[in-house]
Amino acid sequence: MTHQLTALLDTLLPGDGADWPAAGAHGLAARTTALASGVPNGAEALAAVLAALPTAFDTFAQPQREDVLRRIEAEESARFVAVITATYNAYYTDPAIRDIIERMTGYPNRPPQPEGYDLDPFDESLLDAVKARGPIWRSVD
Amino acid sequence: MTQTADVVIIGAGAAGLAFAWAVAAPNLKVLVLEAGGFVDQRRAPSLEPDWELALQTTYNANPNVRRGPADYPVEDNDSAIRPAIFNAVGGSTIRWGAHFPRLRPSDFRRRTLDGVAADWPLSYADLEPYFDLNDTMMGVSGLAGDPANPPRSPRSCPPLPLCPATRRLAAAFDRLGWHWWPSDAAIISRAREGRAACNNCGPCGVGCPRHARASADVAYLAAAMARGVELRANTTVTKLDRSGGHVTKVRYVDANGPGYVSCGEVVMAGNALGNARLLGGIIDNPLFGKGLMLHPTAIVTALFDDHPQSWRGAFAAALVSQEFYESKKTHGFTGGFQLQALRGQGPLTTALGGYGLRLPWGENHAQEFAARFGRSLSLTVTCDDLPEYVNQIALHKTLTDRHGLAVPRMIYRVGENSQKILEFGIARASEALREAGARQIAVNPLTRNGGFHLMGTARMGADDKVSVTDAQGRVHGMRNLSIIDASTFVTAAAVNPTPTLQAIALRAGTAMREGYSAKRATR
Repeated sequence: MTHQLTALLDTLLPGDGADWPAAGAHGLAARTTALASGVPNGAEALAAVLAALPTAFDTFAQPQREDVLRRIEAEESARFVAVITATYNAYYTDPAIRDIIERMTGYPNRPPQPEGYDLDPFDESLLDAVKARGPIWRSVD
Repeated sequence: MTQTADVVIIGAGAAGLAFAWAVAAPNLKVLVLEAGGFVDQRRAPSLEPDWELALQTTYNANPNVRRGPADYPVEDNDSAIRPAIFNAVGGSTIRWGAHFPRLRPSDFRRRTLDGVAADWPLSYADLEPYFDLNDTMMGVSGLAGDPANPPRSPRSCPPLPLCPATRRLAAAFDRLGWHWWPSDAAIISRAREGRAACNNCGPCGVGCPRHARASADVAYLAAAMARGVELRANTTVTKLDRSGGHVTKVRYVDANGPGYVSCGEVVMAGNALGNARLLGGIIDNPLFGKGLMLHPTAIVTALFDDHPQSWRGAFAAALVSQEFYESKKTHGFTGGFQLQALRGQGPLTTALGGYGLRLPWGENHAQEFAARFGRSLSLTVTCDDLPEYVNQIALHKTLTDRHGLAVPRMIYRVGENSQKILEFGIARASEALREAGARQIAVNPLTRNGGFHLMGTARMGADDKVSVTDAQGRVHGMRNLSIIDASTFVTAAAVNPTPTLQAIALRAGTAMREGYSAKRATR
């Protein structure tokens, strides 16, 4: 079934042919399976979606594959969402994908801590206009 | 092991630990029982590359999804909003954004001012010293002088900084002539003993390894224990024994099996859901459980063409607009709302939808991700919520949890007034974000997972015919039972409740301590 899973992932996240790789070709089948298995009913959802694929799914072109998946999405909504979640989880926590994100957006490929970011001082002059308006709260006295 | 106590507090969250510290005194045995365990924030998920996965699992705000060892099921089929609570030492402040606004004076006088709900049996002025005391304990960054609120004491730390996205929002508010102010945040911008200053990392909601972001355990636990308070974690209270107007025993189960504590005072601090599990059959007031208020929240998200890298900085504690906070006849509703800035999220959370819709799978996914990640800024529309009796916490008639306690039912629908506020607020938030330069606006008209502010169900009041507790949280008709969390709120206001519920807990704890002291002096 690995080739079917790879085809499924490539259909869900096909990349853009330039900067972003397709999820299946990027080798995320095992990671996706593991992440799906880590949540209640996740493994069952992935198995059900794979079982619903036509045998020749991996030979279809992308538009045909998307048609197949949209039918499954409509019929098996909850399971399909579980598969999407596992797929996105695998893709966006993958170190190589995070390298691409860093290169394209500046979001560093490291955990938020312990490094964090600079804590610049607050510029109080930004508040001049607000202060000039005076109080706007209701007094109860 | 202690089997008697002068004061037993059930729940070690924001209210329970503040109360414990305030009530503690020499020769007074104060015991806190908490179903959850300790959370070591020094090892928070934000230290790991996969930190965003924790938001779906161990740090998921919904206990029905998280299913941690201390979580009990909540039946929410009849609620438009799902529960968002955390069961641990520190309670839901383990999982919060630490936005730290106070209720306003008018929030305590809605009957007199607007003819709705009821007046509180206490005032802003009554709470002010406890607000200040709590700010000192929690550690608050911010700036005094906000024209939308009464004057307040200087904040202990300067405000957290704005980022490029929130700066353009502030400028938009200025152009519209609307109020904005840097948030009071329970996140320190300067180091203090045992706590480093915030380093602007962003995901405060998964715990703070620097202890810059306060939580009840970080702020109060050590101080309470230094005063002699005993805390027992992983200890689930299963039953209160009652004899007449007295609670005589608090029964619990821990790793050693069942046990009980005989006690003088019993103080409930387990939130409206947790309290209801134990107080069925103890409080026979028909008002108990009724009038649940939740702050229905819409989230309006702007997407910018350029790339302001909006992931930098505390996700929920940048700035707030209270331009539309107070009642105004021309609005067509009573009460108002707060607009609270929310920064952009991490890459995975962005892909999964963040505050709005999940990114589409398929051919356009990569393009959509590139168009959204780091380019978003959101505003909450945090609505005032009237106490309507149809909104309530009830107990399931047949379902029980693993301890045999009835499963609480959250029954809530968005009231007509709240819906009007939401619609007006969404329009105003959209207007502000467009003024800030948004290319595209996305609206989440109601945050389904937004049941984080559980207020009401045990309203305080001077008249025992129309309230459940008095102003100190003492349950009418009971001699030694108090409720000191946001369950006692009379009105919801339109701001996050934690500073106010903690001020109420400090005031009630102080009064109880002084009561003990007076009794002993007269013996």
